Amino acid sequence: MNISQEDAQASLSTVNDVIGHTQKAIASAYANPSLIMWGILWIVAFTSTHFYYTYAFYIFMAMAVVGGIGTAVIFGLYRAKSPIKETSSHKSGWRISALWIFLCIYIIVWLSLLTPFSGIQCNAFICTAAMFAYIVMGLWFDNRFMIVLGLALTAATLVGFYLLRDYYCLWMALVGGGTLFGTGLYIRLRWR
Amino acid sequence: MAQLDNIIHQPVRLQIMSSLISLDQNEQVNFTYLRKLLKLTDGNLGAHLTKLEEAGFVKIEKTFVARKPCSFISATGKGRDAFEEHIAALREIIHSGKG
Repeated sequence: MNISQEDAQASLSTVNDVIGHTQKAIASAYANPSLIMWGILWIVAFTSTHFYYTYAFYIFMAMAVVGGIGTAVIFGLYRAKSPIKETSSHKSGWRISALWIFLCIYIIVWLSLLTPFSGIQCNAFICTAAMFAYIVMGLWFDNRFMIVLGLALTAATLVGFYLLRDYYCLWMALVGGGTLFGTGLYIRLRWR
Repeated sequence: MAQLDNIIHQPVRLQIMSSLISLDQNEQVNFTYLRKLLKLTDGNLGAHLTKLEEAGFVKIEKTFVARKPCSFISATGKGRDAFEEHIAALREIIHSGKG
């Protein structure tokens, strides 16, 4: 069987397009509600913290609990309705959960080692550590989108921390929360 | 030197295999979802899947979900190997003219 270079190039382009389209369509089912939820939580938590700074700890604890439960519910619903069936036990879900549990444990350990620190330092540290986990997941699943999102939010956190310290929480609500929310919305509209 | 595969090279079957390869080895996709994803008709997808199944490249598992018949499709190990070789052959053809 012989084909021209142009045909070979066209076939390879088709393959790349279909693989990308399939991966995006599958990911969009759970990625977009999860990102939209986390975006709203970031916006609410950071805006509340700006105005009620003394309650920051409780606000962010509440955000973590609501976000954790919400994420578990979204993934549970996705698995129940998913067009993809697993023929043997899938370890990725457990590995992702383990990654985040270990990250939470290590964040507590690192914070105990680094104390004393200000509330904003603590917050920026946790945000960048969470974004590091996004980058790890992106490398793990060969997903450039997650890597770019992790890097963009890390950069946004650093800009807020170093250049806009007085408005850090509002900046994080607008840029951080807005990016998560907007990304979720973009995936919902474009990745179907 | 990698060889092109006649069965996989057909445009619709190339799309089907590309989509199935995107899944993990332990995952199967619902027939209806695959049909919508690739914008194919029932008959078209069914006919090409039969060809791929006859070649041993895909596995079709018929089952019932909520009392409705449902087919789940996955790429076999043989199908994944054949697809990889086909892609390697395409790359060789492309690179052969760039040297």
